[in-house]
Amino acid sequence: MYSKEIQKKLKDLGVEIGDSVRVKRGDQVYEGILMPKEELGDSNAIVVKLSNGYAIGIKFEGAELEKLSGHRQIGFKSSDEKIKHIAGKPLISIISTGGTVASRVDYTTGGVQASYNASDLVSIVPELGSFNINSKFLFSMMSEDMTAEHWKEMAKAVYKELKTDTSGIIVTHGTDTMHFSTAALSFMLKDLNKPVVFTGSQRSSDRGSSDSFINMICSANFASKSDVAEVSLVMHGSSNDDFCYAHRGTKVRKLHTSKRDAFKSVNDEPLAKIFPDGKIEMTNCNYRKRCDGEVSLDDKLEEKVALIKTYPGMDPGIFDFYIGKKFKGFVIEGTGLGHVPTTIEGRSVIPKIREATKAGIPVCITSQCLFGRVHDFVYANLRKEFEAGAMFCGDMLPEVAYVKLMHVLAHSKDLEEIRKMMLTNIAGELNERTPVFEL
Amino acid sequence: MKCGIEIHQRLATEKKLFCGCSAQPSEDKPIATVERMQRAVAGELGDVDLAALHEYSRGRKYRYQIFPQTTCLVELDEEPPHSMNGEALEIAVEVCLLLNSKVVDEVEVMRKTVIDGSNTSGFQRTSIIGLGGFIETSKGRVGIEAICLEEESSGIVGEKAGEITYRLDRLGIPLVEIATSPDIKDAKHAREVAEKLGMILRATGKVQRGIGTIRQDINISVPEGARVEVKGAQELGLIETIVDKEVRRQEKLVKIKGELEKRFGKKRFEKPAVVEVTEIFKNSASKLLRKECLLAMKLTNFAGLLGEELYENRRLGTELSDYAVAKAGVGGIIHSDEKLEKYPISGEEVGRLREKIGAGAHDAFVLVAGDRKTCMRALEAVCERVLQAFEGPQNEVRKVLPDGGTSYMRPMPGSARLYPETDVPPIEISRKWVEGIKLPEMPEERKARLLKILNEELAEKIMLSENYPLFEKVVGELKVEAKFVATTLEETLVSLRREGVPVEKLNENKLMELFIEYKCGKFVKAAIPEILRRVSKNTGESISSAVEKLKLEKMGEAELRKIVEEKKKAGVSSKTLIQEIMREHRLRVDAEELSKVI
Repeated sequence: MYSKEIQKKLKDLGVEIGDSVRVKRGDQVYEGILMPKEELGDSNAIVVKLSNGYAIGIKFEGAELEKLSGHRQIGFKSSDEKIKHIAGKPLISIISTGGTVASRVDYTTGGVQASYNASDLVSIVPELGSFNINSKFLFSMMSEDMTAEHWKEMAKAVYKELKTDTSGIIVTHGTDTMHFSTAALSFMLKDLNKPVVFTGSQRSSDRGSSDSFINMICSANFASKSDVAEVSLVMHGSSNDDFCYAHRGTKVRKLHTSKRDAFKSVNDEPLAKIFPDGKIEMTNCNYRKRCDGEVSLDDKLEEKVALIKTYPGMDPGIFDFYIGKKFKGFVIEGTGLGHVPTTIEGRSVIPKIREATKAGIPVCITSQCLFGRVHDFVYANLRKEFEAGAMFCGDMLPEVAYVKLMHVLAHSKDLEEIRKMMLTNIAGELNERTPVFEL
Repeated sequence: MKCGIEIHQRLATEKKLFCGCSAQPSEDKPIATVERMQRAVAGELGDVDLAALHEYSRGRKYRYQIFPQTTCLVELDEEPPHSMNGEALEIAVEVCLLLNSKVVDEVEVMRKTVIDGSNTSGFQRTSIIGLGGFIETSKGRVGIEAICLEEESSGIVGEKAGEITYRLDRLGIPLVEIATSPDIKDAKHAREVAEKLGMILRATGKVQRGIGTIRQDINISVPEGARVEVKGAQELGLIETIVDKEVRRQEKLVKIKGELEKRFGKKRFEKPAVVEVTEIFKNSASKLLRKECLLAMKLTNFAGLLGEELYENRRLGTELSDYAVAKAGVGGIIHSDEKLEKYPISGEEVGRLREKIGAGAHDAFVLVAGDRKTCMRALEAVCERVLQAFEGPQNEVRKVLPDGGTSYMRPMPGSARLYPETDVPPIEISRKWVEGIKLPEMPEERKARLLKILNEELAEKIMLSENYPLFEKVVGELKVEAKFVATTLEETLVSLRREGVPVEKLNENKLMELFIEYKCGKFVKAAIPEILRRVSKNTGESISSAVEKLKLEKMGEAELRKIVEEKKKAGVSSKTLIQEIMREHRLRVDAEELSKVI
């Protein structure tokens, strides 16, 4: 943002962002288009885009500003054009929730702007023109801001689309917490009959090298053609622009901050390899198939669940904090096979597990290793944890256990029933066997 | 004629512009590759850049080679850029000051859309550091328009069947771009300006040396012509030829335009029909023509024009062919103003071809061979270029050919290709910091100073040499005689290199060690080539150990006296004494000391 002084001056001169201006400072004269100011940089320097396309910052103090004729629309304007559905093309639904995929750079904030109508999407990814698209704008948010309320909204929107004659649904989503959302929808949409595909991008779609194009194309193909009636996550399968993987929504995690292939299947094989030309290779034969059955929506969630990571030297008092705040369940991200600090008095988490369990608050154990399963018996300390009442969640990912516990607690208050539900597979989140090779 | 040049010079920083990789291109073999696609996207003002679209229309795949020390996730476009390299920014500001350019108050890093694949991200990060400025030349002042700091692109390794391979070691090396105003008077002047700018850049002592580290782009237009950017001149010697040929090309195209107006009058040139002629060449003697598909096109009223020479070995037909090559990826085209016997195409075949497409004596024809889709694209490109002939020269980017001629590369990019790099914050430039930057001596001043201690030849050699900083250090700090230091660095090393001694392995520290040992009296001047020969091949060895192994220690006074005594005893006359001793012990005896002893 420009400083108050500059904003006032612009207002007085009737100059708006996008106007052609001449700036004189000392013996230097600059002409160009007045650009918006990012949140960063010197708010007392105005940014002018010169005729050669470059922008420069000019200190406003002592500068004379003059408005010239001419104005440019800065940024992307959504198209009003409606695209008619053409018989014979597969129908897909695209629900936009924000993030970088299928969005345009908003030069007013320097960020990205969701573009949600079908013709905008086709203008960005022309290959989507071979589908009939029902597009729906749900929200435009960065995924780190999402809450259980948003998952419910998403589940409702997807459920509504599932009731139409669409062949599959795409949800575009910010990547950071996409795996939480896929897990949430996996539990909330019962008896799925069509593919529900989440996708995003790691490189914004304003650049020619963006991964969003291939991610969108592969998602559209997977949603319309595949036989997988599950919630899945489709993103780049490698650093190359060669194929995408469809990961099961309850067995996937973002494992890199910035790479295209940041998402990996954990403790499971990806469901399928999808190529930009539309070819789909199944890589996992264990999945729910498309069917004519009725899907149902079960969007109840208990939000008072905490996900706690253990680490050397941690203060077990954190559990008291949450219990004091009337939390109804805990998921612990333990070390190794599911350990928590056990033997040193005052540092041990075991008394907290016992206390919570006694109070009817379930304590679920997962591992911060992510890969592999937890175990309740191989070390004495694990046995102590188990005896205190902890529920060992097999090969379930911590984030998935967190979402699942929210779901389970909304359906039962009985500790034994909760334990049974947590340890029973609902949506592919628990596997009895661990694959030998990672794909 | 209007002419301006752009100089791109790699900076000798330790690290790249936006990451921690080494800025020295790799000598290693690539350890892996990644494969990517790119497509045209909208720029900041909502337009898709023309040049970007052009590349996309070619539908290519890009393969990038990864090197151990010079490639990280930033070059792979798998990690956001780090903050801008302060060392590079300082050098760029220094260059601005040397060229009388006004440094901006705040640097805005931009993304310049580039989708020939040479940048993994699809854009090059670039920013204006200075605006305005000038240099003085023999033909008056030449203005500077802008000085930019940007990322070097990837180096091209090869191209085959729709796939281009690039190496990533070069990507992201800091590069200073200097664009002059169109003040250049003629071809010779263009060379002078390029030389002068090159000298000023080298005077900073902070630019990379060697092949490919400096490149010139030349912008040329003639009256009624168009703005043409000729890219990638690496040799100064070629600049005059490039300017000369481009001027002639544009002038000739203006003449052709006039001729077309005469021939067509008010008639319009109709887009010609594409006719399949595969059948005619089914049994052709030319292997080139026995292809899956042959398509031809009649160019009404064009007889003779395609053969019009623009300059040596370039005709209007070559221009048509360039378009077909660039836009459709064919090997070339065949046209009626060529010597068709060379393919060979018989007179009878030409007759049948002309008949089939309805081409009369006033008409020309174009023929392409290959698969149908490619041929169609090629003829479309030819048609596009033919229509442009009615408008004269076109604004475009051309690449330099080895003979100083040029060929079509892509349309002139527009300003739509620049938009903000939102991953790098703007950088405020403090006036105090700029004022504190110490400027190097300018070439003229340096020469004047050096002439006091060196002859003109040596002064000119050392003043712009990459060894100059070392020269200053040795002369200034060790107080070693300037002429000897300059001769060692600029002549001894050069003649050893010519012998095939790997002197490039000698770094500054090693050479410094040599002068220190010399200063301490370890050896005499004449021993230096022998010592350098040995340590070049074995850089791990210290200079003093090499001297000992070679038995080249300078003779002490006692030993010298002994030899003199022996010679005298043996009856050597005092006249020939010095000569004889020097002949036998040249590499170990200092003549001056010897004469003192005698």
